[in-house]
Amino acid sequence: MKKDIYSKMQILSDSAKYDVSCSSSGSDNDYKSGELGATESSGICHSFSEDGRCISLLKVLLSNYCIYDCAYCINRSSNDIQRAAFAPRELAEITINFYKRNYIEGLFLSSGIMHSEDHTMGLILRTLKILRHEYRFNGYIHVKLIPGSDERLISEVVALASRVSSNIELPSNESLKLLAPNKTKESVLQPLKLARDMTMERSSKPIGMSTQLIVGATPESDRDILRLSAALYDKALLKRVYYSAYIPVNDDKNLPALVAKPPLLREHRLYQADWLLRFYNFSYDEIVSPTNPNLDEEVDPKMSWALHNLQHFPIEINRATQEELIRIPGIGIRSAFKILGARRYKALNFDDLKRLKISIKKAHYFITCKGKRHKQIPLYPEHIKNSYLAPPQRYTQPSLFDHSAITGEI
Amino acid sequence: MIAVYDGSFEGFLTLVHSIYYKRLTITNISQTMPQTLFVDDIIEIESNQAQATKVLQALQEKFEKKHFETILNTFMCDGVAFELDLMHFIIMGFRNPKQLSNINLPFVFNIQNYQKELFRLYHRMSGFIRFEELSCGTLYGMIDVKFNILHLLGRHFCKRFNNQSFIIHDTKRQLAFIKSDEFVGVRSVVEFETPTLSTHEAKFKKLWQSFFESVAIESRHNPKLQQQFVPLIYRTYMSEFD
Repeated sequence: MKKDIYSKMQILSDSAKYDVSCSSSGSDNDYKSGELGATESSGICHSFSEDGRCISLLKVLLSNYCIYDCAYCINRSSNDIQRAAFAPRELAEITINFYKRNYIEGLFLSSGIMHSEDHTMGLILRTLKILRHEYRFNGYIHVKLIPGSDERLISEVVALASRVSSNIELPSNESLKLLAPNKTKESVLQPLKLARDMTMERSSKPIGMSTQLIVGATPESDRDILRLSAALYDKALLKRVYYSAYIPVNDDKNLPALVAKPPLLREHRLYQADWLLRFYNFSYDEIVSPTNPNLDEEVDPKMSWALHNLQHFPIEINRATQEELIRIPGIGIRSAFKILGARRYKALNFDDLKRLKISIKKAHYFITCKGKRHKQIPLYPEHIKNSYLAPPQRYTQPSLFDHSAITGEI
Repeated sequence: MIAVYDGSFEGFLTLVHSIYYKRLTITNISQTMPQTLFVDDIIEIESNQAQATKVLQALQEKFEKKHFETILNTFMCDGVAFELDLMHFIIMGFRNPKQLSNINLPFVFNIQNYQKELFRLYHRMSGFIRFEELSCGTLYGMIDVKFNILHLLGRHFCKRFNNQSFIIHDTKRQLAFIKSDEFVGVRSVVEFETPTLSTHEAKFKKLWQSFFESVAIESRHNPKLQQQFVPLIYRTYMSEFD
């Protein structure tokens, strides 16, 4: 039966939704006159879905037919699910019309493997050519490179896309072997390395690339994951690593038994740690040590680092450098700038911080203002942690007539 | 002393002129005559073209470019009572321009926050505004927002819809940013008829809704987080929330 366009959209966006990447940021190409579309370096979120994730791109698969049989993937060939495919022109037309209505920032295109890697990559390339050349579309296009496809095809796609990516999915080769027998870490990284080298030849700036790691499906520790991310950032291979809490979509003997809830808190802590790597000059070794290979779920990674490194604290707000300021738990880049700007005019005390709307809920354990601390909580990890995690005591005045509102009984 | 002015930029500049040259001490600035009786004096400012131009020229000459832009931006924050803070800001700029980056001063801090709020609203709306295609091919979008961000949005979409005609209609202020072959800029909207939509409109709206529904992951269901990112106030013109 031929499917109508609405059910196609439903099937193919449903299949693509487990890809977490949806950012359109970090790519700043200015508009061209006579063309449609421009990108914004900050990225723009156009809506938020019911799970609270940002919708910035039209995230669909070109097709969810697939010859691979990866255990974790909803589109594996042995799954009995509805299958559909867009024609390149059909998808290009939808993209343009969504863009004109300001629904989206651009297209995020991935695909299951139809017939062969090269055939699939060829269809993706065709879609891109229609968008860029026929519709003169100058907006954001993110393409999932198909590992194992022909180098010439990859090179043409890289030339037309704003960003490309290839998902590593699992943080070690052993896990890949177990769950995605058709993939290896090398085969996944191959198109990314190729794309980097190709764009480096043309200009000094490599094309933006990202990848995704599934968290919680295999036994790797947070240290293993962050070490991999740090290595990928250091080699300037990637701009972003996404972490996706494992959501069981298949029942497989190699996968963990169906868990009730995806490990969302662990995912959140990994993102926080990732931010520390990218914007706060932390090394992965500082965040997760061999003795504590996993992130603390109770407190955020910066707080956790501070508690293990109390020899650096307390820090005097009025003298600390910017690097020192951003290492204080609860003080971010913006707060650090506010402090630096304000203290040129006067020495700051705790009331000044409050007036500048700088939250000291976490920070006050670790700072002094003009030599004074906020509350005399001893600088010991247990004391700070207990005080921070203890729920604030609420005193409510007991009512004289403390009775049930429904029955009237005292 | 309470100053009353007509709400226009010209009126505000005239007010600054009076304060500066008559050395008035102003405790409040209002756009309407206070209804209740105050012990304070009330001074009514009438817009004066010559005085306003004089102040505007002085602002351009004496203020750094970024501070001058701050003044213009603050004036777009018409959803809050920015006047008193802006007046202090301008007067401080004439007396001691170095203090204009001292965020320990309450009015400098407030002005920076208004500006931040303005840009945040603009950034949000650059994602949340929805266009509909009219039968003539022009894209038409409506907004109803706290601050006047029409010029910011207009500039943004001129880049993005470089080969399209579009209209952004601010229903609250009865203004519209228009980009067509003949005209680019802001116009006031006196009369308004509901335009006819193109025949494709329903199809793409339905496709968008179908995409919006199926892209959410059930096991991560979190409407509270969704509402934190898209507060209800922005949803009026967003078809996926119908």
